[in-house]
Amino acid sequence: MPLSMHSFVSGLQAFTAFVGKTCRWFSLAMVIVTFLVVLLRYVFDYSSIAMQETVMYLHASLFMFGAAYTWQQQGHVRVDVLYHKWPAALQQKIDLFGTLFLLLPTCLFLLYVSWDYVMIAWAIGEKSHEAGGLPFVYLLKSLILVLPILLLVQATTNVLAFLFNIQLAPVSSNPQEGTNS
Amino acid sequence: MMEWMPLILFVLVCLVLMMGFPVAFSLAGTSLIVAGFGYMMGTFDGAFLSALPNRIFGILSNQILIAVPLFVFMGIMLEKSRIAERLLHNMALLFGPLRGGLGISVILVGMLMAASTGIIGATVVTMGLISLPAMLKNGYSPSLAAGNICATGTLGQIIPPSTALIILGDVLSSAYQQAQLSMGIFSPDTVSVADLFVGALIPGLMLVVFYMLYIGFTAWLKPNAAPAVIDRPQIDRHFAKQLLAGLLPPLALILAVLGSILSGIATPTEAAAVGATGATILALLYGQLDLTRLKEVADGTLKVTSMIFMIFIGAAIFSLVFRGFGGDEQVQALFEAMPGGKVGAMLIVMLVIFLLGFILDFIEITFVVVPIVAPILLAMGIDPVWLGIMIAINLQTSFLTPPFGFALFYLRGVAPKELPTSAIYRGVAPFIAIQVGMLILLSLVPELATWLPDKLYG
Repeated sequence: MPLSMHSFVSGLQAFTAFVGKTCRWFSLAMVIVTFLVVLLRYVFDYSSIAMQETVMYLHASLFMFGAAYTWQQQGHVRVDVLYHKWPAALQQKIDLFGTLFLLLPTCLFLLYVSWDYVMIAWAIGEKSHEAGGLPFVYLLKSLILVLPILLLVQATTNVLAFLFNIQLAPVSSNPQEGTNS
Repeated sequence: MMEWMPLILFVLVCLVLMMGFPVAFSLAGTSLIVAGFGYMMGTFDGAFLSALPNRIFGILSNQILIAVPLFVFMGIMLEKSRIAERLLHNMALLFGPLRGGLGISVILVGMLMAASTGIIGATVVTMGLISLPAMLKNGYSPSLAAGNICATGTLGQIIPPSTALIILGDVLSSAYQQAQLSMGIFSPDTVSVADLFVGALIPGLMLVVFYMLYIGFTAWLKPNAAPAVIDRPQIDRHFAKQLLAGLLPPLALILAVLGSILSGIATPTEAAAVGATGATILALLYGQLDLTRLKEVADGTLKVTSMIFMIFIGAAIFSLVFRGFGGDEQVQALFEAMPGGKVGAMLIVMLVIFLLGFILDFIEITFVVVPIVAPILLAMGIDPVWLGIMIAINLQTSFLTPPFGFALFYLRGVAPKELPTSAIYRGVAPFIAIQVGMLILLSLVPELATWLPDKLYG
């Protein structure tokens, strides 16, 4: 196995992990900013559209940036009725098949169908429709392209790891399994 | 060929899902491939899918669902900082000396914990790890203990403020608008998440009471199945202080969150943020919060939130394709052809959802099935709050039913090997009977769900 391929794949894996571990803090930020919004409204009778929209941006970024990392960490639910009974080799093949024939077309289609939509938002520098809102709607819309791109990076990682039989070091995460099935 | 496409799509999606590739990607990928096939055959209009970016933007800017990550944060914080564990421990101290008391404390804590997370997997696993050993050690019948824990774990969906009800509320509110527009009502009534929360209150609490009655009755009838805890604590001032310190703060937090939503003081999002902040402060006060734990909570929140919203996006693609093939008109025609009108349509929907509950969980069914069937049922004159509660209790029952119920898998995963699977099945049977009884009661007396929202919000 070529060593450079090994480090390339590990690098991709580390990149996705880095994105996820950075973006997980958006959840804490959401809690803090929303709490401030509530505090300001009920205690000081002050409300800011910009702050409310900040929460919306954090919320959207949390999962649009986080979906690929969640996939890497096996956090997306599967229908587990049969899957967990199958041997590891078959599970690997199902994952490869799913990546190539289900995830890949989805990502490519998302990029294709959303490209103009996002580019128009950039071209006009789309702003919030609310008075006092954030003028970054084009950035929010760009998340629609971020999601498939990050998923494609993780898909490349998984496929190359399978082809070159690279054992990816388990990226340390937490045994948080708050998910169903 | 054309008229079969929606059915083919649906069956194909179910088959692909059974393979076990992540649900969100399976939904999206299969739908797009079938759409591509239809496009080439000239039976699918590509214009349907050009609405996709706008749909996704709608998901990104959905104001109601912002409450989801905040509640998830609160739930994971309560779980990771062992506040839930402490709560269970203290409840057990309080009720343990009674026959059946341990079982009743499991139900009460499960109700509170589930309310904050609404994720059955997490609740069943935590309860299974903490309370199953305690119950077995104290001589509880294994099947009673197993049934008790599984049933309690599923309570999370129906007891507000559960994540499941927030999502269902959001989906039902757009379905209700759509239904009324289709009937030519252009200033439609609305149904909110708070309506659903209030509507769930009476049926949810009734289930809790029925569960407790069952445990109490069993303990009375068969003292050996649910004995009193052997080592009683010394009841003195110190014990009382310790008990109150462990019980009151989390109870106050959860009641405050719920109360502020139900009384209309705060939106679910605001209440969730206050709850998450409160849970963080509690964890800090109990000396359970450090950077590592905070990282775990943030990480868990990101993963659960991504999981939920990826399914939302996958389901949005599925529903666009399903509609593009004329699926919703077919479902409507099918419902209208059902003998018994409303009742017949409702029965078939309940049956389909019950069966789908074996392979899909609450979030997936809410995003995939409810948007298709709810507008039609609501246009037939069914009350949205009642429909929501019926779906929730139905799914709860499905998750308990052998051999495929989710709750059973989770408990099996953490239960000791000595506990036979057949004991788990025997243990849940009485709880399934309670659930079915509740569904029948709710069908005969819909006011159980609709009376309180009407009374409070008019």
